[in-house]
Amino acid sequence: MSAPTRHNEAWRYSDIAAVEAAWPLPAPESIIVPAGGTFARTIIQDSGTIHQLDIAIGKGATAAIHVLNIGGDYGRVELNVTLHEGADFKLGAVQIGGGSQTLEVITTVTHAEPGATSSQIVRSVLAGTATGTYLGKVAVARDAQQTDSVQSVKAMLLDRSATANAKPELEIYADDVKCAHGCAIGELDAMGLFYLQARGITPADAKKLMLQAFVAGVFEGAADEEALTEAALAKLGDLV
Amino acid sequence: MLQITNLHANVGDKPILKGLTLSLNAGEIHAIMGPNGAGKSTLGYVLSGRPGYEVTEGSVTFNGQDLLALEPHERAAAGLFLGFQYPVEIPGVSNVQFLREALNAQRKYRGEAPLTGGEFLKVAREQAGALGMDMDMLKRPVNVGFSGGEKKRNEMVQMGIIDPALAILDETDSGLDIDALRVVGDGINRIMRKPDKAVLLITHYQRLLDYVKPDFVHVLDGGRITRTGGAELALELERDGYKELAA
Amino acid sequence: MTDDIEIKDKAAWDAAEKVADYEHGWSSDIETDFAPKGLNEDTVRFISAKKNEPEWMLEWRLKAFAMWKTMEAPDWAKLNVPPIDYQDAYYYAAPKAKPKLNSLDEVDPEILRVYEKLGIPIAEQKLLAGVEGGEDGGLPQRRVAVDAVFDSVSVATTFRAELERAGVIFRSISEAIKEYPDLVRKYLGKIVPMHDNYFATLNCAVFSDGTFVYIPEGVRCPMELSTYFRINAENTGQFERTLIVADKGSYVSYLEGCTAPMRDENQLHAAVVELVALDDAEIKYSTVQNWYPGDAEGKGGIYNFVTKRALCQGRNSKVSWTQVETGSAVTWKYPSCVLNGENSVGEFYSVAVTNNHQQADTGTKMIHNGKGSRSTIVSKGISAGHSNNTYRGLVRVAPNAEGVRNFTQCDSLLLGSLSGAHTVPYIEVRNPSAQIEHEATTSKISDDQMFYAMARGLNAEEAVALIVNGFAKEVLQQLPMEFAVEAQKLLGISLEGSVG
Repeated sequence: MSAPTRHNEAWRYSDIAAVEAAWPLPAPESIIVPAGGTFARTIIQDSGTIHQLDIAIGKGATAAIHVLNIGGDYGRVELNVTLHEGADFKLGAVQIGGGSQTLEVITTVTHAEPGATSSQIVRSVLAGTATGTYLGKVAVARDAQQTDSVQSVKAMLLDRSATANAKPELEIYADDVKCAHGCAIGELDAMGLFYLQARGITPADAKKLMLQAFVAGVFEGAADEEALTEAALAKLGDLV
Repeated sequence: MLQITNLHANVGDKPILKGLTLSLNAGEIHAIMGPNGAGKSTLGYVLSGRPGYEVTEGSVTFNGQDLLALEPHERAAAGLFLGFQYPVEIPGVSNVQFLREALNAQRKYRGEAPLTGGEFLKVAREQAGALGMDMDMLKRPVNVGFSGGEKKRNEMVQMGIIDPALAILDETDSGLDIDALRVVGDGINRIMRKPDKAVLLITHYQRLLDYVKPDFVHVLDGGRITRTGGAELALELERDGYKELAA
Repeated sequence: MTDDIEIKDKAAWDAAEKVADYEHGWSSDIETDFAPKGLNEDTVRFISAKKNEPEWMLEWRLKAFAMWKTMEAPDWAKLNVPPIDYQDAYYYAAPKAKPKLNSLDEVDPEILRVYEKLGIPIAEQKLLAGVEGGEDGGLPQRRVAVDAVFDSVSVATTFRAELERAGVIFRSISEAIKEYPDLVRKYLGKIVPMHDNYFATLNCAVFSDGTFVYIPEGVRCPMELSTYFRINAENTGQFERTLIVADKGSYVSYLEGCTAPMRDENQLHAAVVELVALDDAEIKYSTVQNWYPGDAEGKGGIYNFVTKRALCQGRNSKVSWTQVETGSAVTWKYPSCVLNGENSVGEFYSVAVTNNHQQADTGTKMIHNGKGSRSTIVSKGISAGHSNNTYRGLVRVAPNAEGVRNFTQCDSLLLGSLSGAHTVPYIEVRNPSAQIEHEATTSKISDDQMFYAMARGLNAEEAVALIVNGFAKEVLQQLPMEFAVEAQKLLGISLEGSVG
């Protein structure tokens, strides 16, 4: 199978040259969470690599993935999640890019059976001419009633010509479901910045503080919360 | 301490302050009252350097320094504190972290040593307690989930911790019930009524002035100070309204 | 007299008033003039000759046809469409009538009868009766100028005189090509270029008629303009071409509505609508679409592949698209705004209902190039039966577009557990000062809501209609008043059979 092109939906914003160079990719890592089990994984992508995971979450099982996507010219984290009855999936992802990096988080979460829950929080901060992308599809199968799915996507651009792309997609075939998503792209609140400065914080530190606030909460509950937060703040510090 | 001379300022394209002249000496408490839209909040924002507020004419000197030449964080370090009419929510950043960083930034600017974590918490606890707020509130993100009154009290806690030379308090009494008003009033008196400090109270109603007796009351109307008097002027305004005293 | 006013009040489409079957499911015995079946260069020449077009127009069509032959139909939409045999259709059907229609006396009486049956206010005298005041108790009457399109040819245009006084040009596009060639050439194909997409290219080659509107500088068009479409003959595709130009500081509100008869074979509707708004101009474009959706088994019905685009070229220009889509078997349309002008505004309000086996893939593109441009998108999708309803949208902010604001709200309402509701939003931002907000929710009518409504005396279908109308209210509010009333009824009717 040849490398994908921009016409392939899942690669529409990718750095195709980098993809071709990495092609063919190894098979995605396959994870099966047994019924009633728990699974947690932290992915810190800081060297320009492609991570692909297929996760099947069994009945009543839970999986929590935390992603920090910050390094290399092209970094991609792709998650393919299938939820069985009563399963739960949580994703907390932060992307921070500068220079001419291309970073992307691609998720497909399929609610195959009823009563499952999923929650995805994605925060991206992009500077320079970096591109940050989130493609997140939530698919609810015909009989997957009582699905509860939420996506909260926010991106912040620090420079003109940085690019933020988001495609929070819903494909729903069951009616007794709660599926909502929110996506907001903007800049740092000017009033917030002024408030901090009016209390004596320098403009650069004010920016850092607000960016820190922006990604706050994404890594709550992660086993490596501190390490993740530290790495995120370090990258933010580089950018500002 | 503060000398404002013939200040003209625009908000966007619109001229709001049209030749305002005012001076404050250390140890004084001034109140500025006036109808809505007169430029009261604008004065506060111009003095603290909010973006979007452009000075087109005039000068402001603060303790001998050209205030308008300083950036907002430099003005804070120079000893200026603006109590916001609408304190801003900053999710994800705790009050404690925010204030410790702010205070130490100011101290650094002034060449003073920063407070350690422990020293800072001691100060914070004192000030919070004096204003009837517990440390739990301080650990929460800045102003998130605070009621209007709680936000105003939080401003006073900040003022206590930062301990500025000049406090400009923009409608600090709005949103406060009687009890909160008393607490805030006492806080202002405790923190700022000192021979080396001054306060500029911007207020629409006179009730805060029952608790914080001003030495001078000014009427700001049409972008200028149109009248100056003692504390009794506030009562006159309350009784007769602003129209009666239109210059 | 009362009858006249009543017809006037129900101006435009008198969509399904009665319960159950598609009311307009009959065809009339009108002699039609067909182009030979199939699509080749001769077909294109036939159409151009029939309309007495100038040479430049024929050349334009031929260029498009040559281009179309090299293109492939798009297949990326979430639609399940059996391949269309483009040779198995007629591309021109005009009712035979006198060649020039100056007054309504000259219109084929059979046609007038059809429109009367549909409740369209085509009789000028009847309309005027309500307008002059006094006859109707002094109530101001809404005036709607109607350009009726019947199977590819504009039949009559009413209110011409009054519009002319205001300087407004409101013609069939065939007439405009001949009467105002410079104006048409200036804009035709500039907003939707010939190569834009498969169906637009096809339209360029074989478009038969449509509307041309020009509002001169500073003029607020004195009445709402409306065009009524009807597809009558079997196996004809309808290829309307509409061009509306609002010059500086002008305003126009335009209404488009359609009905179609029952047929077994699918019929193709591939229209192109181009709008241009210059400095400080505003165009309000409303559509209530009730094409035949196919029967309950999914047979028959209209294929609606439409390209609609507005160019908000001038500063402070504004274009509002409002659509209520309840018909057609397959819908593929994305009314869009290219926001070039500084502080230009684009709006898209849509209610799309799918029932039985209908499929809809619809939405909008807001392309922000101008500083300070703003857009609002409110999309309400209602899926019932075995249908599939997809919102597909794009909000794009160019690097130099400072201070852009967008707000998007996509809500889906699922009726029953056999339909699908999908949301595919693309958000691409390249300027840091943009504020883009997008929210989407999916819900069903809760048992509590149904019980509450029924406990107050409504039967199941009435309850659904009430709740659905509440769901769609924000969009329906955007429609000119009379159409809002019709649209509300239409919503209720289009969902019949979906409850229980």
